[in-house]
Amino acid sequence: MADSIGKKMGMSAKNRLLSVIATAWFAILAIIIIFPVFAGLLASFRPGTELIRKGLSIDLDVSTMTLNNYIYLFSGNADSQKYFMWFRNSLFLTAVSVVGTLIVCYIVAYGLSMYEYPLKNFLFFLVIATMMVPFEILILPLYKEMITLKLIDTTAGVVLPGVCGASTVFFFRQYMIGLPKELLDAGRIDGATEYGICFKIMLPITKPAFAAMSILCAMGAWNNVLWPMLVYRNASKFTLPIGLNTLLTPYGNNYDVLIAGSMFGILPVFIVFLCFQRYFIEGMTAGAVKG
Amino acid sequence: MKKKLLASLLSVAMVSSLLVGCGGGSADSGAAAGDGAAAEDGAAADDGAAADDGAAAEDGAAAEDEAQAVTTVGDPNGTHLECWSFVEAHNTFYAKMVDKWNEANPDRTIEVTFTTYPYESNHTKLLTSLQAGTGAPDICDVEMGQVPNVYEGLDTWLYPLDDAMAPYAADMLTSRLDAYKGSDGKQYGAPFHVGATVQYYNMAVLEEAGITQEDVDAVVTWDDWAALGERYLDAIGRPEGKYWTSVDTGGVDWQWIAMAEYGEDWTGGSADATANVQLESVKKMLTMEQEWVNSGLAEVSPDGYVDLEAGFQNILDHNIVSFPKAMWYMSRFINYMPEEEGNWYIAKCPVFEEGQNCSVGIGGTGTVVTAQSVDPALAADFLCYAKMSPEGETMIWEDLGFDVCNTSLWSDDSFAHDESNQYNTFFRNYPYDVLNEIKDQIGVVMTVPISPTINEQMCNVTLNDILENGMDVDEALQAAQDIVALEQ
Amino acid sequence: MKIKKFFYSQKAAPYVFVIPFILSFLFFWVYPLCSTIVMSFQDIGPATSEWIGFKNYSKLLRDPTFRTAIANSFEYMLGTLILLIPFPMLFAVLMDSRLVKAKGFWKACLYLPALTSVVISGTLFRLMFSEYPTGQMNVITSALGLGTFKWLKMKSTGLGALLVTACWRWTGVNMLYFLSGLKGIDTALYESAEIDGANSWQKFRYVTIPLIKPTTIYVLTISVYAGLAMFMESFMLWAGPASPNNIGLTIVGYLYNRGIQKNDLGYGSAIGLVLLVIALIINIVQLVANGTFKKEER
Repeated sequence: MADSIGKKMGMSAKNRLLSVIATAWFAILAIIIIFPVFAGLLASFRPGTELIRKGLSIDLDVSTMTLNNYIYLFSGNADSQKYFMWFRNSLFLTAVSVVGTLIVCYIVAYGLSMYEYPLKNFLFFLVIATMMVPFEILILPLYKEMITLKLIDTTAGVVLPGVCGASTVFFFRQYMIGLPKELLDAGRIDGATEYGICFKIMLPITKPAFAAMSILCAMGAWNNVLWPMLVYRNASKFTLPIGLNTLLTPYGNNYDVLIAGSMFGILPVFIVFLCFQRYFIEGMTAGAVKG
Repeated sequence: MKKKLLASLLSVAMVSSLLVGCGGGSADSGAAAGDGAAAEDGAAADDGAAADDGAAAEDGAAAEDEAQAVTTVGDPNGTHLECWSFVEAHNTFYAKMVDKWNEANPDRTIEVTFTTYPYESNHTKLLTSLQAGTGAPDICDVEMGQVPNVYEGLDTWLYPLDDAMAPYAADMLTSRLDAYKGSDGKQYGAPFHVGATVQYYNMAVLEEAGITQEDVDAVVTWDDWAALGERYLDAIGRPEGKYWTSVDTGGVDWQWIAMAEYGEDWTGGSADATANVQLESVKKMLTMEQEWVNSGLAEVSPDGYVDLEAGFQNILDHNIVSFPKAMWYMSRFINYMPEEEGNWYIAKCPVFEEGQNCSVGIGGTGTVVTAQSVDPALAADFLCYAKMSPEGETMIWEDLGFDVCNTSLWSDDSFAHDESNQYNTFFRNYPYDVLNEIKDQIGVVMTVPISPTINEQMCNVTLNDILENGMDVDEALQAAQDIVALEQ
Repeated sequence: MKIKKFFYSQKAAPYVFVIPFILSFLFFWVYPLCSTIVMSFQDIGPATSEWIGFKNYSKLLRDPTFRTAIANSFEYMLGTLILLIPFPMLFAVLMDSRLVKAKGFWKACLYLPALTSVVISGTLFRLMFSEYPTGQMNVITSALGLGTFKWLKMKSTGLGALLVTACWRWTGVNMLYFLSGLKGIDTALYESAEIDGANSWQKFRYVTIPLIKPTTIYVLTISVYAGLAMFMESFMLWAGPASPNNIGLTIVGYLYNRGIQKNDLGYGSAIGLVLLVIALIINIVQLVANGTFKKEER
């Protein structure tokens, strides 16, 4: 692995000092970045009226903290059931869109990187072009289209428009143009079909890219608000961000559930991230994005 | 070769069944589709939840009667209606009224499915469905600011409530009903509350400064009120950060009060009228507010508005002790400032000149019945029963703490002086006593298509220029008028 | 039999593979984009829509609020380009060196904001930037003896708050992009540079920067349109699309205000298309200037 700075094997005293400074620098950065989340976490251990009373404060006094918000969240009452319904819906939607997006994008990227054919560059240009269209301007016509296609209030309606995500295709394609093409010919000689090669030979060696993209897609799907909010009609399908949004109304916010619920909602994505982090970096490495 | 084909077909089929399957199926089939990590989380989530699937959750909620994002309530054999809101408490209220309705009307029973949406999607979805001509609910809450958009289609979109509200119309506060009338004069929206503005006073703090309730009651004009403020500030020695009141840059409540007092309306009063923000009342109010800010009597509300987190904090810290606000602000005290119990006194707002109106209805939710309803007459009858009948209004006051529009209740002792109602006990006096006093002095400012533009211009630019940056009132209003005229 | 044979041929296979993209492109991009274009020439009424030609566009030209929105979006975009490209790059280089200990932990911390839902991070930042003395930013500035500020009411501090929010959310993500780029650089190049007697700065300047250029272009491209299309951050900081003197109004915020809040779909569509054209022009100019279209892919 390349080390651009601090290359020497044995560390000199000067380097040791530099090392302390560099590490300290990231520690400070991490503290600054964690700060709002930490403040939110502290707020989640206090009643909502306390947040109004004192603002978002770093008050470490344990004696004034209570688990009440979380107890309420887990109490099994109507609010709690609703919260976990949102939670389960989010897990379901995230799982479906991650699996769907990865498969579709892999196939498309495969077609865009493994063959030479006349339309290839044009199609790739279209992929890049769709990346640059702000989703917001398509929302209203897309919403009407969903009504016509009878996809409103379905998970398919939420997932399909994003299933061929341009940036995911782009990433897979960048990864795959770096793979040895000889494998294809070897596969053909062994009598495998084009589709067999795609799924049986190439797919396994693309695993790191899958790991990296599963994190990014999971993150996007878990936190996606705007589009699911428009597509879902039936409240029993609402996801966590939509549900949390219903707690913010022009007539006042429900801070107790909002803050505790949001803090608990970070957990799943954070766990996915920690699990895949190693692959994530490796995936990025191998796929090193080339403009 | 055959086998290979089969394999690839299978994999295609798997992908498509996955995509189609999630369209048809619902959340119950859920987390199983996920990968390892997701399934693990799913299990963890299930431990926490008492119920396992959507259906069970619904039953549980019905048993517990409170709050559930989606609920179907009522008689399964009755007419099925759908109702949307963006405030969960509203739906909870309607749900209770469904049971009462079915008891009282055994021959016209209903079953209603309630959905609580986030604020934006409630209105976006309603509008899109109205335009598309399909997909709208039978009954829907519409926030005051969105009323002009939803009313645009008049009776091609909405079902007039005039017939349904006939039994209650005589008791309803007409100025409030007028605010929810369409440009064709038909009643399309049913109000929750009057939203009458009143003056809130922190009596506990004022008494420490030697100001009594009699002093407060003696206030008639804004000059009296400002003089009382000076007296208060002198008494506490004018410490830094303490003010008599705070003026808003993020809300137009003060300007509305001024317009109602002079009987003016900057929208012109109807959809085709010419808007004019350069009204005498608006100028007077702004000039007065600017003077107060300069003299130290008033500050600009932190973050621009008293109805925000910082505004509540400001009140809790006793930095301001008197301000005008609609009656529904009482619920903010209950929800966010419980420690203020017993401190506050409600009185009528001061006026510019004796004999003027002293209040105006602000904000609110107009509930509509759409023309797409399966049985619009039935939906309208239910809606008016829920929001206008004495039974419904009593529940609105108890559950939501709104100043109801059915005036027959205002002087009803068992209603207005009910000691089991938390709103009646929280304040030093009974809110409805004040309301009774100002009954005939509640003005109206219309909400028409140009209203959002005026509000936006005021809250985003004009009020900031005048109150924060000290710009000349006439100059700022001229600039605002130019923008508003461009939009008309 | 012929069809089957064709389906399996090396010629047909790539087209079969890209079918999902073509379908998704036609259904979810071409159709909505076309109807947006059509709507931008219409006055969308409750029952009927009227063809009004370029009226929406000529109104846009005269609309001072739209000019404010464009100016704000540009300022924000330039701010993010200045803050969210060099710094994450430097952090990535540092992170890639042997100097830093416990790398995994710091990376996880820096990445946490991207995992946090905008619903909650927006609320947290709004409370932090409150002008009330208990707002965290005011606690900090008054501790430093600078007094308190009305953060979200002044142009400069408002933009500052937006940029802080943006840096908070995206520094970690951009750093990871750069890290991936760095990993792709051949170690041998550093070794030969060292043999030539290059110091750390020279290695960074003459080896790292040129070789990391593709990643930089990628980050630049996504930052340009993310910056111009920013909406959520502003929406959350000011609890809606409205802000004092429109200091937080962005192009998409104005689109939301017109298209959704005021239900003027025609005007909203015109705003959206102007945004699309601006973003495309900037990115194409930028990509051409950087030579991305010159060489065929490697």
